[in-house]
Amino acid sequence: MTSNRKLARPLLLIGQIALAAIFLAAGYFKLREPWLQFAVSLSSFKILPDEWLEPVAKTLPWAEVALGVAILSGILLRWTALLSSLILTVFLSVLTRSYLLGIHADCGCFGSGEPLGPKTLARDSTMLILALAVTAGAFLLRKPNRVE
Amino acid sequence: MRSFLLVRPALSVIPALLLVGACLAQTPAADPKKVVPNTPPKTTAAKTTPKTTAAVKNYKLTGSPAAKVTMELYTDFECPSCREFFLKVLPEVERDYVATGKIQLLHRDFRLPQHNYTKVAARYANAAGQIGQYQIVAQALFAKQQDWAQNGNVDAAVAKVLSPADLEKVRNLVKTDSHLDDTCVADEAQGAKDALSETPTMVIVKDGKRTKIGGFVQYNILKAYLDQILKS
Repeated sequence: MTSNRKLARPLLLIGQIALAAIFLAAGYFKLREPWLQFAVSLSSFKILPDEWLEPVAKTLPWAEVALGVAILSGILLRWTALLSSLILTVFLSVLTRSYLLGIHADCGCFGSGEPLGPKTLARDSTMLILALAVTAGAFLLRKPNRVE
Repeated sequence: MRSFLLVRPALSVIPALLLVGACLAQTPAADPKKVVPNTPPKTTAAKTTPKTTAAVKNYKLTGSPAAKVTMELYTDFECPSCREFFLKVLPEVERDYVATGKIQLLHRDFRLPQHNYTKVAARYANAAGQIGQYQIVAQALFAKQQDWAQNGNVDAAVAKVLSPADLEKVRNLVKTDSHLDDTCVADEAQGAKDALSETPTMVIVKDGKRTKIGGFVQYNILKAYLDQILKS
């Protein structure tokens, strides 16, 4: 059990850094563009009410950056990893729904110009698996090494 | 390992600060990689549009020359999203921003290779532009897109909105004017510089900065964005 923990902890750290990098990159590439471009991507999914497009387009990228920083810091990792899993589940559900309905949406996941397709779904599924693994790891390895 | 875990929260602030700094260094709408520096106007027509780079004819430009913002709109006459934008969104933009002198509007052709009749349609529109009828013909081409995109009969769509005399002039220009596609070529060259990947695409030009917005934009969010740009 102890040796498993020794092996699991670096793996968790790697997963945590990778997950944080995904959220930081997603936020950064959206923030590089005008918020209107992300609003256009959101609008293409035909799922949000019009009045939500602007506030979501303006806040979601910053929320992704904040979540990336929180995951990277390791503070409250169980909860930030769980939140990232929930967010990625929502994203993947929206993408899958749009794909199945044949909606020609722009993913907007890492900035504009990425038409929704099987590659997008495969990538987002991988990210969700990573988030779930980090969440599970964080709960199973709850801070035995944390020093007061 | 333990010491690393202890300092990690502090270390994570560094990429966060770098990221926030990088984001804040951007203007609300600017992307340095997408900024195309202005070049001196090449033609007489372009002298009236110093904020734009390509040589364009005046008939594609509407609005006050004193406007601080120019919206360059790249469309393809055969593209359905362009049709929707042109017929549903553009009239509101023209009413609220172009007619009020806040924004200049510049139409740019971006003919997509997968469309069979878009080149013919653009020739008709530009021929109409030569006789001062660009807007009405562009409107008709988008309104009747579903007809001529099926059968290729662009002439029939144009014939409905022009007088017989004007129609004859347009037909002659379409047949004989070897320079009729020049503005399209210039627009497409500018589109390549703007790294266009889809139509419709808007490029908002303010203070020499070009900000690209690709895809169909609903008017309510476009309005919010334009108001923000005009205030800044």
